[in-house]
Amino acid sequence: MEYVSKDLTKTREALRALLPAQDILCTALTDGAGRQACCFFADAVTDKDLLGEQVLRPLLAYRGAAEGALLTAALPVPEVRVANALSVLAEEVLAGNPVLLLEGMAEGVIAGTKKVPARAVAEPPTDVATKGPREGFTEDVKTNTALVRKRLKTGELEIEFLTVGKRSRTAVAVCSLKGISAAGVKERIVQTLSAVSIDTVPDASFLARLLSDRKHALLKQLGTTEKPDIFCAKLAEGRVGVLTDGSPVALTAPYLVVEDLQSAEDYFVPAARATFTRLLRLFALLFAVYLPAFYVASQLYKLQLLPVKLALTIAGSIRDLPLSPSMEMLLVLLLLEILNEASIRMPKYVGMALSVVGALVLGETAVSAGFVSTPAIIIVALSGIGLYTVPNLIEQTSVLRLVMLLAAGSIGTYGILLLTALSLMRLLSAESFGVPVAAPFAPFVRQDLKDALLKSDLYALGMRPRCIGSPNKRRMK
Amino acid sequence: MKLSARQLCFFLAAVAPAGKLVLLPSQLAAKAGNDLLFPLAAHIVFEAALVFLVLLLARRERTVYAMIADMVGGAAAKAACILLAAFLLWASFVPLIEQKLLVQTLFYDTLPSYVAFAPFFLLAGYLCAKPLASMGRLWDILAPLFCVGLTGVLLFACGSADLGALAPVGGSGAAGFWRGLFGASSWFFDAALLLPLLGHFPYQKGLALRGALCYLAGGGAVVLFCALYFGVFQELAVSQPFAFSQMSKYFSGVAAMGRVDYIFIFSIAFVMLFYTAMPVQAAVDVVAEAFARPRALAPALSAACNAAAFAALLAFNFVPSETIALISVRLFWIFPAFSAGMLLVLYAAWAAGRRRRHAQ
Repeated sequence: MEYVSKDLTKTREALRALLPAQDILCTALTDGAGRQACCFFADAVTDKDLLGEQVLRPLLAYRGAAEGALLTAALPVPEVRVANALSVLAEEVLAGNPVLLLEGMAEGVIAGTKKVPARAVAEPPTDVATKGPREGFTEDVKTNTALVRKRLKTGELEIEFLTVGKRSRTAVAVCSLKGISAAGVKERIVQTLSAVSIDTVPDASFLARLLSDRKHALLKQLGTTEKPDIFCAKLAEGRVGVLTDGSPVALTAPYLVVEDLQSAEDYFVPAARATFTRLLRLFALLFAVYLPAFYVASQLYKLQLLPVKLALTIAGSIRDLPLSPSMEMLLVLLLLEILNEASIRMPKYVGMALSVVGALVLGETAVSAGFVSTPAIIIVALSGIGLYTVPNLIEQTSVLRLVMLLAAGSIGTYGILLLTALSLMRLLSAESFGVPVAAPFAPFVRQDLKDALLKSDLYALGMRPRCIGSPNKRRMK
Repeated sequence: MKLSARQLCFFLAAVAPAGKLVLLPSQLAAKAGNDLLFPLAAHIVFEAALVFLVLLLARRERTVYAMIADMVGGAAAKAACILLAAFLLWASFVPLIEQKLLVQTLFYDTLPSYVAFAPFFLLAGYLCAKPLASMGRLWDILAPLFCVGLTGVLLFACGSADLGALAPVGGSGAAGFWRGLFGASSWFFDAALLLPLLGHFPYQKGLALRGALCYLAGGGAVVLFCALYFGVFQELAVSQPFAFSQMSKYFSGVAAMGRVDYIFIFSIAFVMLFYTAMPVQAAVDVVAEAFARPRALAPALSAACNAAAFAALLAFNFVPSETIALISVRLFWIFPAFSAGMLLVLYAAWAAGRRRRHAQ
């Protein structure tokens, strides 16, 4: 490892060799005592006003000895430190913190004047709440830790910073509450992430995959949220959180499936209303996954599943269809997935045209042309809407819906039952950091049922969830 | 992975009864007529006593293999475990036939090809490759599901049941009672199913009694079911083999809303899926453990056992009644004899172990 030398020219050349990029600038200047000095900084990510006012101007007036400790004391920058390894200095420059080098000083001074372009704090589009806080995480990890710190003003909040990604050098903040977080989870996260050797980490989802025990599982093993209030609530329940620079999505562990059936708003409305909406979400989810499959199974194998009048109506509308019920449903479901994919990727101004084409041209004309039946369109529409009541599980449930449909088309209701059994087994054997994801239902934890599908009143929630394993059991007296 | 006492109780109270709702009621009605409840109750009490004894053995927290090996050595213990597995495979045949017939009736308007039932063995193969003790979480889910399903079916059926059909009590006489008792033996092997679980759950004080009471509670639900079943179908009960899927359809709301009772029926059928696979799973488990290589052996054994079960089912595909008659009438004695015999061996092993410890 190379170190800073007292010979400024030599150090400057060595550092330049480490930072050959053109956006890394080096300003030469002379301090108040007439010694040569230079400042390395990254052009786009350094606050140049702050650099000029709080670093370079004091340096021009500095007459003290060429020692890092003395020079840092002379700089009015709140975040300043010294380092003598060139690799550390280079890393700081790349992160946006300028480095000062002075003739005769065997250390570099790092000033924390980084200014990364970041968007403002706004309501996250995936987690909108009509009641309660509207702030959402941004792509800047510092802003995100500030949002967390704003809500948890306690010395117990521990934030450990890591760097992941050989080339992206992405900052990752592992947040936990001392004495409250489940034992061993933070250590495991830090250990896993420290051992990871990956080029770049563009998003938190990469870390989620890296932290998962079962690498090829469809079911996720870490919770996600874009809202600091939820993040902090989860930390207070004993979970550990991970904030990733460049991603507005925060990860939490251990994860329970029931988390995704809950929303932030549940805690800001009366308990009865929250319970109702949670049950509604579960019902809508099951409805969305099973409805197309049961519709196909009933037509192909077991017409008794439908009331007689409904069966007659359906029979009338499918009479002249060229496709089998399973092919018809598969086609309409695929069409929905395509429309969904296109509407996300398409520029907004084309969105209206897409709606017209999707709803009117494809839907209406396909029915009148006799390609698909009206009940199939209605069922897929209901299923599509139902799935989005639990947006955090959309990746899993949309796949499951398709597989259910295939099972129903192949062997009918029995196939649905078998596939459900298999999915249930997979779900029940999944664990997130040693905690079964299906808790508090399996294993059954009676105390935690107060805030699972049913939502009890605030006064009944005096204890932290047992299944998370927090060493501090009580949260309210 | 260890089971908890709660999960075990859930199994005994609300998973084990699921296997007694398909052919057993009609079998009992055929043998004992309107007195079907008495042989059923006798079986439940006897089986609950066996469950009590098995759970008492759990105090040592040793597996079946380890207990027998302590007494007679490893080789004999392996042979005993293979014998237990053979019994469990034998016991699995009636539930498998039941499941196949139920699937053909319940899930299809017209009789499907027997291949429609084949995917069951894929699920069973997956389940059997897992240790039985890992089923605890599943029982946490299945128990409430079964309770909801059975309660729904019973509520829907009670309106059309005439319990007066059970009178006159004792009408079929002692002969009917004994016929019913012997004919229903092949449905009661739950104590034997618990044997592979020994050593996989921590014994808590009073667990044996609690387990037996849970079994009695589950059995009570089956008795109630059979009473309503006979009340609904009366003389026709003999020819209503898939009672739980038929009894609730006479509910007045069904005409207006369609077969909403299918929600409850499918819930029970779902629980039944796992119960049907359980004897094979227990057989695989006990052999894999005896040979001390559960991870390596279980998948291969699971594939072999399920393939064999499927082949046997295909072989007897066109003679299900004769097969059931063979197992449950001519060879009915195997079930009580084996369950009781195995328990005797285990208690002898226990006593021998105690004597040895005292001697030391």
